[in-house]
Amino acid sequence: MADVRRPRPTAEQLGRRRTLSAPAKAGALVRLLLDRFPGLASTIWTDDDTVEVQIDGAGNVALLGDLRDDPELHFWFLADAAAVDYGVGERFEVVYHLYSDLHPAWLRVRARVDRADPHIPTITGLWEGANFHEREMYDMMGILFDGNRDLRRIFMSPDYRSFPQRRDFLLPDDAADSQAAGVNPLERPETWDLTRLEESRAPGVMAGAGDEP
Amino acid sequence: MALEVPERAGAGAAGAEADRIVIADQSGSDELLREFGMEEHPRGGFHGLLEVIPTRADIILDLIRSNSLWPLLSGLSCCAIEMMSTATSKNDIDRFGMFPFRASPRQADVLIVAGTLTTKMAGPLVRLWEQMPEPKWCVAMGTCTTSGGRFKRSYSVVQGVDRVMPVDVYVPGCPPRPEGLIYGMMKLHELVKQRRGEWPTYVDRGPQRSNWEGDVR
Amino acid sequence: MTSELRIPDPLELEAAEEGRLRAVAGLPPLKRGGGEYAGFESVGLPDRPPQTEREREVYTLDEGEMLVNMGPQHPSTHGVMRLVIKVRGEVVIDIDPVLGYLHRGIEKLCENATYTTVMTYVDPMDYLSAMHNEHAPAIAFEKLFGIKAPPRAEYIRALVVELNRVFSHGLMMGFLALDMGGLTPILYSFINRDDVVDMLSAISGQRMLFNFFRVGGVNFDTNDEFMSRLGTWRAGVLKTIEMSERILTDNEIFRGRTVGMGVLSGAQAIALGVTGPSLRASGVPFDVRKAHPYSIYPELEFDVITQAGGDVYSRYLQRVAELKQSIHLIDQIVDKMPHGPVQAQVPGIIRPRPGRAYAAVESPRGLYSVYAISDGGPNPYRFRMRDPSFVSLQALPKLMPGRLIADTMAVMASFDPVMGGVDK
Repeated sequence: MADVRRPRPTAEQLGRRRTLSAPAKAGALVRLLLDRFPGLASTIWTDDDTVEVQIDGAGNVALLGDLRDDPELHFWFLADAAAVDYGVGERFEVVYHLYSDLHPAWLRVRARVDRADPHIPTITGLWEGANFHEREMYDMMGILFDGNRDLRRIFMSPDYRSFPQRRDFLLPDDAADSQAAGVNPLERPETWDLTRLEESRAPGVMAGAGDEP
Repeated sequence: MALEVPERAGAGAAGAEADRIVIADQSGSDELLREFGMEEHPRGGFHGLLEVIPTRADIILDLIRSNSLWPLLSGLSCCAIEMMSTATSKNDIDRFGMFPFRASPRQADVLIVAGTLTTKMAGPLVRLWEQMPEPKWCVAMGTCTTSGGRFKRSYSVVQGVDRVMPVDVYVPGCPPRPEGLIYGMMKLHELVKQRRGEWPTYVDRGPQRSNWEGDVR
Repeated sequence: MTSELRIPDPLELEAAEEGRLRAVAGLPPLKRGGGEYAGFESVGLPDRPPQTEREREVYTLDEGEMLVNMGPQHPSTHGVMRLVIKVRGEVVIDIDPVLGYLHRGIEKLCENATYTTVMTYVDPMDYLSAMHNEHAPAIAFEKLFGIKAPPRAEYIRALVVELNRVFSHGLMMGFLALDMGGLTPILYSFINRDDVVDMLSAISGQRMLFNFFRVGGVNFDTNDEFMSRLGTWRAGVLKTIEMSERILTDNEIFRGRTVGMGVLSGAQAIALGVTGPSLRASGVPFDVRKAHPYSIYPELEFDVITQAGGDVYSRYLQRVAELKQSIHLIDQIVDKMPHGPVQAQVPGIIRPRPGRAYAAVESPRGLYSVYAISDGGPNPYRFRMRDPSFVSLQALPKLMPGRLIADTMAVMASFDPVMGGVDK
């Protein structure tokens, strides 16, 4: 209700073609970000409770460091670091989610990484806890983090050669239709020993009891 | 129906017949055996070097074995919590003699594989199984160990623990209720008393390789 | 002429057998690294030089140091994790946790599953708090679908989530004592857990991996059995918790092993990404239910509890306090629960809008969040879960140097990791 009385800046004043439709919750944060980082103006997006910006991978340490150290932004907590694969000809993205106690919205930073040569600087200098996240992103997607002291596989064996979460790593279809169906004798009814069927009763139950309801 | 018998010198169909006849003579209609629920199964018994003609001492030994099967502490994932729930006060398998979950495989009788087996863990689990001294039994608890379960298409889950070791009892469920696991242990008691374990007659078919690129051993 | 009796080395025998088998199979023989890393197969390491700086740091042994393998199967009940501990005598110099023994590829499976099936895949991640595992995807998918759950569904969600938190913290009390050798509190924890879990099975049909949440609400409404079990349980729960507390909280041995052990400062915890009770026990008042409120938590009255110590004992006290706070929350929820439907009215076939959604909930281990990307199709395009135990494990190598091996288990248990969540 407050925005009905308060004069809102016009589109021209903001330097944008369309009106900023940020709800009052995230509005202050959006204005601050536009203030500090004018280069982000073309990529900023927001809905109820998340503000999102997109950058190129090489600038992630600079931006995240500024977001953390600026006293008015104060994004002191890295909630999540995830990797997204957009397809074989497309890019990777490393997505960081940050939390600040001064702003009621999550901040999502999407950093573009080239798929052919996936290098991005590490943020373990800012938050040491990003080490495991980066190891997981390397293990699952194959993104290399320059400067990470411990970039080795974390989930798969050290000699595993694929990157499972990439879009071109396909899971097999239902195992029953595959060439390996029936390798297990339990999956082949002709190997079942039906003479042992009557022994499947619970011990102590008399034969014939419980056959009728 | 074919029971796979490891090769013995001079064995063949005649040898198998001879085993069956010998064992049937021994068990007969013994009332003591029937009372304990331990009638000799016509196909049961050990083979090869382990074959012994059952005597009263062996029957008592089997009874003792079945009532004090000590499991190995090998909880892998969610089924392990239900296994622990079976072991604690409300559903107590201490009354069946299974209270000490041994930490060392050298002292354990039964390996309850509780939880999803992944390809990275398959090596250590098979090593644990091989370190257990005989006689030993294996219970596949939960659907992940029976057949891969809810992770049927996963790239890193072994589709059933019977691909890597012989399994005696399969307990379905995700996770099986403690009552279900107790029922499985009752079936295992039957197997122990009737000497119907899988491990002596287990024929290692080797790594079951296939051309399926998604198949994980 | 003396004849030497040469006892073959077991590792040599294995290598010879492997060579023979490879020759039979027609494969070329394996090359071994040899040299200073040749003995590391006993701790499960390949005998090659370390690949990264940190590996070099851990696996380079000085005079008197030794690598001990706390293998994937060990009596501590957190699941399958391997710790390679570098010790000098009994004193720990460094720890390298090796994960992945329970990696089931859940994120990849979710990309090939419908939005409803995702609920069954995320359950076995952090299997001790399965309701929280489902709550975060439910919120994220509701943002993508543009659906809001009805108020009664939100209250039921909060109720089962707090019940889950109660028994999860109760289990932590038991596991902490069990890892240090006390065998009684675990029995009390499991008695409490069995009561709660039977109650939850009355409402959801399952004891452990509940599959209870749906996009737009929950699956079933409360029924008579659930409410009667809830009443009986509420009457007796504080006494059950007090039985465990009486054994542990003022126990001289327990305090001697936990006070001053594994002290994690607030700044260090934030840098490492530790969240949840472990972070609040270090003094940082960060609780997702207050920081970024979701569901009906704005309508409930509760404070953020913190402790000052940051050691194992503080983390234990923090979880006990939060357990009791959850019981008060359950009382409030039951008082305020409205009537109404438990699932939003949506058309039979509904597709989400293309977009991104992030949802975070407070699980008993910390901040559990889901980042979901939808491309408008029936499956999520990318489904990413951030598990709190995974990130909290990084604190272990920072806290252990200088302590004894037996303290490793106490410090580990105080972070209450669940390997299903760590390895996904």
